[in-house]
Amino acid sequence: MAVTLRKSTELFTVAKWLTRRDCRTLSSLPEKAKLASLEVTEKAETSRRRPKKVNPLLENRHAYPEFLPDPNPKWRNSLREKLERADMLKRRNQIDIPEFYVGSILAVTIADPHSQGKTNRFVGICIERKGCGLRAEFTLRNVVDHQGVEVRYDLYDPTIHKIQVLRVEKRLDDKLFYLRDALPEYSTFSFDMDPEILPEGTPVPINPVKVELKPKPWLERWERQELQGISNIEQYLTKKDKVRRELRKTPWEKYDLMKQYRKTIPIEEQTDIWSEVNSQLQQLQLARKKSTRKRTFSAPKTQLG
Amino acid sequence: MNQAEVSKLVSKLRMNIKPEHRRLKNLKGPEGRIDKLRKTVTGLIKFERIELNINRGDEARQYAERLISEAIRHGDCHKPTMDMANFWLLEKQLVHKLFKVLVPRFENSTVSYTKMIKAPKAQNTEHTNKIVLELRGNPYPDLIVKQPNNRLWIQNVLLDAAKYDYRQSKISEIAANIGKDTQLSSSSLTANNKGGTQKEES
Amino acid sequence: MFPNSLKLLWGALQKSRFDNAACNIRGASRQPRFRPPYWYVPKERVWTDDYLTKENKQFLEEVIKDKLEAQTALEKKALTSPILNDVKKNVTWTPQTKRVGLIARKIGNYPLWCKDGKKVSTTLLQVVDNHVIKYIPPEEYKPMIKSNVKWVEKQKYGCILVGAENIDPSVVTKDYCGIFDSVGMLPKRHLCRFVVSPESALPNGTPLYATHFRVGDCIDIRSKTMDRGFQGVMKRWGFKGMPASHGVTKTHRRPGNIGSGGEKARVWPGTKMPGHMGNRWRTLRGVKILRIDTKYNVIWTLGVAIPGETGAMCYLFDTVLPLKRNKTAPPFPTQPFMNDVPKEYFEDTIHPFDEPTISYYEEI
Repeated sequence: MAVTLRKSTELFTVAKWLTRRDCRTLSSLPEKAKLASLEVTEKAETSRRRPKKVNPLLENRHAYPEFLPDPNPKWRNSLREKLERADMLKRRNQIDIPEFYVGSILAVTIADPHSQGKTNRFVGICIERKGCGLRAEFTLRNVVDHQGVEVRYDLYDPTIHKIQVLRVEKRLDDKLFYLRDALPEYSTFSFDMDPEILPEGTPVPINPVKVELKPKPWLERWERQELQGISNIEQYLTKKDKVRRELRKTPWEKYDLMKQYRKTIPIEEQTDIWSEVNSQLQQLQLARKKSTRKRTFSAPKTQLG
Repeated sequence: MNQAEVSKLVSKLRMNIKPEHRRLKNLKGPEGRIDKLRKTVTGLIKFERIELNINRGDEARQYAERLISEAIRHGDCHKPTMDMANFWLLEKQLVHKLFKVLVPRFENSTVSYTKMIKAPKAQNTEHTNKIVLELRGNPYPDLIVKQPNNRLWIQNVLLDAAKYDYRQSKISEIAANIGKDTQLSSSSLTANNKGGTQKEES
Repeated sequence: MFPNSLKLLWGALQKSRFDNAACNIRGASRQPRFRPPYWYVPKERVWTDDYLTKENKQFLEEVIKDKLEAQTALEKKALTSPILNDVKKNVTWTPQTKRVGLIARKIGNYPLWCKDGKKVSTTLLQVVDNHVIKYIPPEEYKPMIKSNVKWVEKQKYGCILVGAENIDPSVVTKDYCGIFDSVGMLPKRHLCRFVVSPESALPNGTPLYATHFRVGDCIDIRSKTMDRGFQGVMKRWGFKGMPASHGVTKTHRRPGNIGSGGEKARVWPGTKMPGHMGNRWRTLRGVKILRIDTKYNVIWTLGVAIPGETGAMCYLFDTVLPLKRNKTAPPFPTQPFMNDVPKEYFEDTIHPFDEPTISYYEEI
């Protein structure tokens, strides 16, 4: 109620702020006033407050998101998470699980008892990455003989022989389920695609491609999901769709601090996790770099004259 | 099983948080809940000590702590944090108070920024649990008075006597065994321990 | 003393007081309250701030430290006792002998893979600080549930009290502490009675480890199921309900008919109806052990249907199921502490993550 009653001009608020700069100076308690005066002198020395530096270990969370546990406190247990991480690292020692994101194109070879040569290779674009710990999964999508095919793999499945990243890139969205309703050319990738190796140290490129959707019916209401990667969504929306979209919007959700908190693992816990796991991951990354360098310098191309 | 969010980083809150949020009855639904909490957080930052019901107070406490931790982490010039503070604090001079007064106050703190104390239950009125929510370092006198002079209280007097007896028996045992080569028997020690516990519990 | 009519009036007036009215929550949504039995003694004391001086707090810590030393001495004595170390001298295992169980905490689930590539979900159970508190011989043991069978010669069973998870003695009552003090041990958070045959008696203070069970053994797990609160008939009893549309009026999840009319024209006691679901003791039989970690005392079991939520305590026993019982002698009476034990045991069908990738080969 105090908020609604008070209507002041800008000058008045500035004047008020200047006079009541530190409410402790007005305190009747002498100790608090003394502290306030000390603080004023300290503040005068440091003009601008610098934000705290972010621990570089935390950058690992983008490349290895499955190492972070499920944030739901009902299922959290530090010992189980530790054992799970140890198992994940053991599997990573056996096979190179590369760094990839949603939107990267991968080729996965698995052991298949029913196919010729006992292995099966599938190439596709990664449309989602879900699950945490040993349950981590990713889905690859491709269009084979005009039929859209999606295959979901467990990241830590011991039957996977090889995960090869043909193109490392990110897209404008976290999940690319809208490719199911997009024109097939956006999901088609040749099985004989050559791996595109980026020079060392380059940041992961973000592909700004905007996909064209097929006319309705769609599998989901893409217009309500705030997706950046669709170009022609507006042309397929009816008046009702647009009205309902406005009504269903929840603009307060992005300010909901506790909702964000409950979905995230806090910095202190993340630092513990990454410091436990980082040295081994760095070793594996070095080994991977060595193998890629060997490949690029392996056979010099001869000119056939 | 959901994958944890990696886009944003949050500092750990130094208080107990329930797994699910409280809905806080109101007509507008989730938007109304956020509005209610905005008013409470504004009031807390403005007055630094407020008395209210436990459910609303606990929720608002979580949001206030989160706001202050975001302000500490990102500081004055980070646009999303300024936007967040502008949303949560309905009176705009409190945004300045948050960044200029509260951030330096709590920057190096290792405990929570707010304190929640249970208020005495009102007699002959509604059975609502009231709490007092306050920011640490507020200018008012403390609500909880610490007890420095408890030396002469009965539990301490009895414990002092028990401590004396226990240590005497230990010393006498060691003295008795000084000449001998054998080690202290565990059975004699347990007998003394039993005597010690009986006195301490009384 | 008030006469009866005035008493009734007084009661009615009490109920109509508006501060009492605020407490009148509807019966269905009120949490069920259970009165403990007459012999129940509370475990945790009413927590109040003691306002002890610093020196007194240090004194209490000193006493606890001395008791811990005494307990470790007792543990060592138990480990070196003839029962555990003289192989097959006095104790012999038969498929009919009952040996002690363990108290474990359910810490979560995660998948493991078999050697043929199949994925299985497993539950992790951590055996935390288990110690034998007491052995009660068959002459002194009086079980709560007595069977009335008199003509069959019953095998006399004793009882072993096992405790799990150390707890701060200042949190519990004197009576509870006394149970442990009488044998020279510090209090434990959880206690359980395991009915055992007299041959599997163990000395006081014996520590129990996860290696008490072997990989490939089947166990029974007893614990309290997850509390689901007041639930309707479809979730609680698995009723089919009614269609969502096609003219069905206001009846989609209801039980429907609850009686037949006819001879006993009433609703029979025990009719399935909505009510409180969960928070009951249930035993899951024949659960296979797939993996054991000896450093942290963790057991991986097949399946995720172990009753209870993450963090709940479970009691583990050897299976009673005839086809899954132990055919070879397990560590009897229990596995003593050994220094050079492998870090992990895996069952034969499970693929350890250390091993190379699974490949299939052509059958020749």
